[in-house]
Amino acid sequence: MRKTLLLALTSSLLLGEVEISGHFDITSQFYLTKPDSKHQNSFTAKQILELKYEKDEITAFVKLYAQEAYYDLKGSSEQTKRSFARIDEAYLKYDRDNDAFEIGKSIKFWGALELRNIVDGFNPNELRDDLFITNKLGVWNSSYTYFTDNGEFSVILKLFEQDQKMAESPYVYYIFPDAVNYNHNLSTSKGELRPSIYLTYSGSTDTQYPIDYAFIYENGYDSQRYFSQVVNNPYSYVQNAYLVEKFMTYNTMVIDATLIKLEALYAVVKDDLYVGDYSHVALGLEHTLEDIYDGSSLGLISEYYRYDTYEDNKYTDLQLFETMQNDLFIGARYSFNNTNSSSIIGGVVYDLEYIEQTYYAKYESQIADNFKLEVDYYFIEPSKKEKTAFSLLGQHQRVGVNVAYYF
Amino acid sequence: MIKTFTLLLSSLTTLLALTNLEVAQKSDDVMSGFKDSSSIMSMQLINARGQEKTRTMAMKVLEGDGEDKSLMEFLTPADVKGTKFLSYEHTQKDDDQWLYLPALKRVKRIASKNKSGAFMGSEFSYEDISAFNVKKYKYSGDAKEGLLNKKAVYIGKSVPISKYSGYTKLKTWIDKETFLVQKIEYYDRKKQLLKTAIFTNYKQFGTINRIGKITMKNIQNDKTTILTWSNQKINTGLKSKDFHKRYLKK
Repeated sequence: MRKTLLLALTSSLLLGEVEISGHFDITSQFYLTKPDSKHQNSFTAKQILELKYEKDEITAFVKLYAQEAYYDLKGSSEQTKRSFARIDEAYLKYDRDNDAFEIGKSIKFWGALELRNIVDGFNPNELRDDLFITNKLGVWNSSYTYFTDNGEFSVILKLFEQDQKMAESPYVYYIFPDAVNYNHNLSTSKGELRPSIYLTYSGSTDTQYPIDYAFIYENGYDSQRYFSQVVNNPYSYVQNAYLVEKFMTYNTMVIDATLIKLEALYAVVKDDLYVGDYSHVALGLEHTLEDIYDGSSLGLISEYYRYDTYEDNKYTDLQLFETMQNDLFIGARYSFNNTNSSSIIGGVVYDLEYIEQTYYAKYESQIADNFKLEVDYYFIEPSKKEKTAFSLLGQHQRVGVNVAYYF
Repeated sequence: MIKTFTLLLSSLTTLLALTNLEVAQKSDDVMSGFKDSSSIMSMQLINARGQEKTRTMAMKVLEGDGEDKSLMEFLTPADVKGTKFLSYEHTQKDDDQWLYLPALKRVKRIASKNKSGAFMGSEFSYEDISAFNVKKYKYSGDAKEGLLNKKAVYIGKSVPISKYSGYTKLKTWIDKETFLVQKIEYYDRKKQLLKTAIFTNYKQFGTINRIGKITMKNIQNDKTTILTWSNQKINTGLKSKDFHKRYLKK
């Protein structure tokens, strides 16, 4: 009895120091233009719970994610397999004066651009959710970081490659034809336990026009994947991971009220039958105009993306479903700077080669102390002449509403 | 005789009068020397209809010669909890500023050229909340003496040097005895009165003073922001490396 009490007391004391936060949200999406066989709408509830414990130089962090889709509660023909729970992060970090060591499952961010971060490939994205949002899967890894006065150097070891499950038809963002099913067991060239190593160096210059820079070298599995038919089953596809040596950089330079951004990568592919060496470069400009009206600000954004492959008789951007191969993004962000922190961001992405357009706009605002509202609109006009990723989706128009409660 | 005495008295008064620059320098002196500080800052936003929103932030500041470093972490509201703002102020070039967005685990560089931008949706601009330094303003002439709430004050004016400032003039009321700022009027680029700030609840740490409350009222849009500091500590031993970018992600 005494032991039980002691345990309960210790637990409650420990829990008292644990910081708990998270949110619960409901998203409703209505697809105004979509293929006949797909659902007209989707209703998804999500919950994120974060637990953080800090004592001296140790930090323990856990992030749990759960998602429930309305159609999964209905009959089997309607189900889209979009309901699940997962551990996004669960790591221990030991932070000292000039260095830090971390082990566990975690999410990292690399990049500088606004529309898409082409170098941000450490964590795969969830394929059972809206394809237009970032919903990263945690990755088991360990890392060591040494901090200099103006920067940091890290060695990161990704411990294994994980499978990626996908939503099923009739969910509108199931990317294969209805007759094709997706086998989620990842096919790898050297086994899932072959680790990937990353060396990163980042910092800031103390110059008149300062630059935030980062360089990354990777030896391991590429974040770009391709799909292939399962042997002896033409109606089943698997995802393939292959090895690369990859050189990446992302940078931001500040000139007056303008940010100049560069993300670039070059991948040397090791002996894959279908994928050859490739590069991806993106350049961005962001200029902010302050005090437009009643304290509001307007950010003007333009970004250009270019993807190239360098080996004949291997997959091109079309087979690899690369959507940003020769694309120009023109957008704007209007921040009302009001008590509800309201903002509107929107823009258009032009595919200069395949003549595709994507228009989008998103409004977000607090609606009460702990509630937030997001409304978005997307319209995609896919290529009429090439079999691009968007042409598989067809002409697409959607309106989405998200209401979130934060705690 | 009377004429001579009046002339002498007038000359003496002129000799004893403080210039606007001297008053500003003395005001800076009584607020400086804290080395570093940590506090909780509450930001109360009140719109023209009287609706209120409150945000709280944990603040750390490292004092420099007009080049303070500061790290601010949002504690409430819940949807922005964990958002951090890191700033290195500079007198000879633009400030370095970064924002950390915890939902994305992303550190974003911010362009800081335009100092007139609203700070976190409040009636304070970035230049209002940055460290005061006399080098950032032009002063001319003697400070006038006057009364504010029955207290003797110096009434001075200063003109921002930066062409990116949102103001053409600041009119300042400084306590004649303590040299603590009591009130500032901010005039916009059209030379119209834009905002009025009232400074109260100063807290004294030995010879050093720290502000406790600033009420900023925008005269043109009728919105008000009240900043209140609590749990203030100074000289806690913070070092430059405590303001490294790594602490944005910690």
